Amino acid sequence: MGVADVLKEGPGKAFMLCNEAIVRGALEADVKIVSAYPGSPTTEILDTFSEISPKFDYRMEISTNEKVAIETCAGASMVGMRSMTSMKSVGMNVASDSFFSLSYTGVKGGMVIVMADDPQAHSSQTEQDGRPFGPNSYTPMLEPSDPEEAKRMVRAAFALSEKYGVPVLLRTTTRVNHQSGIVSLEKMDRKPFAKLAWDHPPGRFVTVAESARNFKHALLERTKKIEEEFEASEFNRIVDAGSDVGIIASGAGYNYAVDAAKILGIKPSILKLGTTYPLPKELIAGFLKKLKTVIIVEELSPYLELYVTAIAKDANPAVKIYGKWSGHFSEALEYNPNLVVEGLAKALGLKMPVEYGAILAKAKELKAGLPDRWPTFCPGCPHRATLHALLDATRGMKHILSTDIGCYSMSFLDPLRYGDSLLSMGACLGVAAGMQYAAQEKVIAMIGDSTFWHAGMPGLVNAIHHGDDLTLVILDNEVTAMTGQQPNPGRDYNAGGRAAKPLVLEEVIKAMGITDITIVDPYQVKAAVNPMREALTRKGPNIIISRRACALYADRNKRKRGEVIDTNKVDPEVCKRPYSCVKSFYCPAISIDDGDRKAIITKELCDRCDVCAKLCPYGSIKRREGE
Amino acid sequence: MSQKEFSVYMSGVGGQGLVLLSNIIGAACAASGIRALTGEQHGLSQRSGSINVHMRIGEGMASPLIPIGGADAQLALEALEALRYVEYLKPGGVVMMNSRIQHPVVETAAHVKDKTAKYMSAEVVKERMSQVTDKIALIDALSIANQAGNPLTENMVMLGAISTLEAFPVPEEALKQSVRDHVPSKAVDVNLKAFDMGRKVAYDLLCNIVKCRQ
Repeated sequence: MGVADVLKEGPGKAFMLCNEAIVRGALEADVKIVSAYPGSPTTEILDTFSEISPKFDYRMEISTNEKVAIETCAGASMVGMRSMTSMKSVGMNVASDSFFSLSYTGVKGGMVIVMADDPQAHSSQTEQDGRPFGPNSYTPMLEPSDPEEAKRMVRAAFALSEKYGVPVLLRTTTRVNHQSGIVSLEKMDRKPFAKLAWDHPPGRFVTVAESARNFKHALLERTKKIEEEFEASEFNRIVDAGSDVGIIASGAGYNYAVDAAKILGIKPSILKLGTTYPLPKELIAGFLKKLKTVIIVEELSPYLELYVTAIAKDANPAVKIYGKWSGHFSEALEYNPNLVVEGLAKALGLKMPVEYGAILAKAKELKAGLPDRWPTFCPGCPHRATLHALLDATRGMKHILSTDIGCYSMSFLDPLRYGDSLLSMGACLGVAAGMQYAAQEKVIAMIGDSTFWHAGMPGLVNAIHHGDDLTLVILDNEVTAMTGQQPNPGRDYNAGGRAAKPLVLEEVIKAMGITDITIVDPYQVKAAVNPMREALTRKGPNIIISRRACALYADRNKRKRGEVIDTNKVDPEVCKRPYSCVKSFYCPAISIDDGDRKAIITKELCDRCDVCAKLCPYGSIKRREGE
Repeated sequence: MSQKEFSVYMSGVGGQGLVLLSNIIGAACAASGIRALTGEQHGLSQRSGSINVHMRIGEGMASPLIPIGGADAQLALEALEALRYVEYLKPGGVVMMNSRIQHPVVETAAHVKDKTAKYMSAEVVKERMSQVTDKIALIDALSIANQAGNPLTENMVMLGAISTLEAFPVPEEALKQSVRDHVPSKAVDVNLKAFDMGRKVAYDLLCNIVKCRQ
């Protein structure tokens, strides 16, 4: 596990996170260009590529956004190099404009796009099912269930991509990306990086009107050939148990189906589908012909179910199909072994071997009064201080907060419950524009630096051009914090620590035409309030930049420099229990003593941002000395 | 399921080193020729939120997620986070939990409003969990980690504790080697010390109620 295993000489075995196995597969396949924007559950692909990049000669960019990332790979693969990008479900939406055209033009060098959905919306705005991107764009799609298979599929995807001149989707879900397992390592046979000559006729990758119509016919032919190849793909496996009950499953659903059958003590035949576009229709038809009952185990939308139902109409109209349409499985949330046990048992009329309901009921009883622990701002997080100052600055000011994607999104969670809308990367500005037309209240948009570079700029250009009356608060914490503090265009380095040109937020915004820019330091939590309030009372569009490095990032840099991270403590002699350090602040390092009801700071958690000390009216919070 | 299979549900608070812990166990498995798979949490939940890792060791399983009532053991780096996932424990399964509590901010928020509110304690958690199993070890991992020399080695204390179980199929030496491979070189000694102290405390607290290795 970890970078050392990704680098290990093959052949051998290692315990790897699926995202690391994907990187390993790409390295074995001699990938030459990597470009991505971080997003859970794909981030460790980017992080691993970035960390090891000094040891290899592939070229890598942590891109401004997913659209730029996919285009960077497209350009390199047009020339003839192998490229890889990875993105989360909603990142795919950003990239999709170019993605659809790319299927038309095709590529020369192999190009693999890792597209990771997030059932359960663990770290996403929606439970989007990305699989329809395959058929909608005529892009072949492979879907692994575990790290070992993911690595093999990456290698196969590069070969397939080059054979047919088309990018290939590797579609994963959170429980596949964030699964670790034993992976077989093969030899890395890498050729030295060397630029290639452009050897295409003019217009080769131009798709519009007549050329688009020509490309369309060609891609239909291509898809037919790929489907024929997929009929015999090693990634579609039938375990024929000779039963008249069958399961068709893919991805994470396959893992649960295998365990659920075991828990139920049944031996159905299983068709595991690894090529989920184009689907091997003949293989599915042959599988259905032997069955009386088939159960489809797939997360999110009834994608396979739709195709299987259509195929069954000719192949075996009598087969009984159980899935989401029959009500045995849900289109909501991710699956797990017990949900699949329940679905199978219900479909097959079996007795439940374990009374999950009773176990859950008992657990609920035992958990009475157990406090929730939602994700929250880290100790020392500048966002917590910014939000405190913003709440102070807007006291008595009716306003709407149009927020955006990043750590600061957590402001809408308990106990702060602050924020009125959140749609997608960069959306705070467009939404705020609409709000300021329609609402009586003051409109505030809030965005982080990385999200601003990613997709906030067009929204700001729009607001400036139209003179929209809104205030944009930019939380500049220097990095893409939520996904693990990756560098963004504001930093002077990029992937692998390589030097990069830093862009300065206020200079870019000034050049766009706004001079009303207020810059505050959120750690000066009291001093920031008045300038913020004044800015908020002026006519917009105007800007507040709250600037302070992400605490995790700053701490890591401190540790690298060998600096000690100080902590604070509460002097109980001075504390008069005003709870100023708790209210509207809610730092995980601060709690209240059950006995004397005074505040306590947990040494192991405190980051000594010193903001709570500034909030205390009695000065009871001081630096911890000599402990 | 065969004797060699072992599922442990691990939980804690973001930032406690839970994923490192599962990596150390997984790599030790790989080095020992034992199959292992995990379902992990990365991303949003790591921000001081509740986190969990499903760790499954053995040949038979395909699912990285442990079914409800399917965990042979629970290992919790924070006591409340043991109770939060109690439904995963097999009836009579082993619970190793850190007695340390990190009070969630929502609980502290309630303390401001209600002057009589009390935090849920590790003892209450133990009492509640004793309704589903009698094999519970409450381990003061923070003070042991501090004695070892670094409060961040609580995860190693708990790793040492679980390594004593007879049913835990990963050899002690493989775990130690994996610790050496995974922590920064200057931190190896303190981590191994915490591991050994965790083993020792388990022999005092756990091995009178559960079968342990000699």
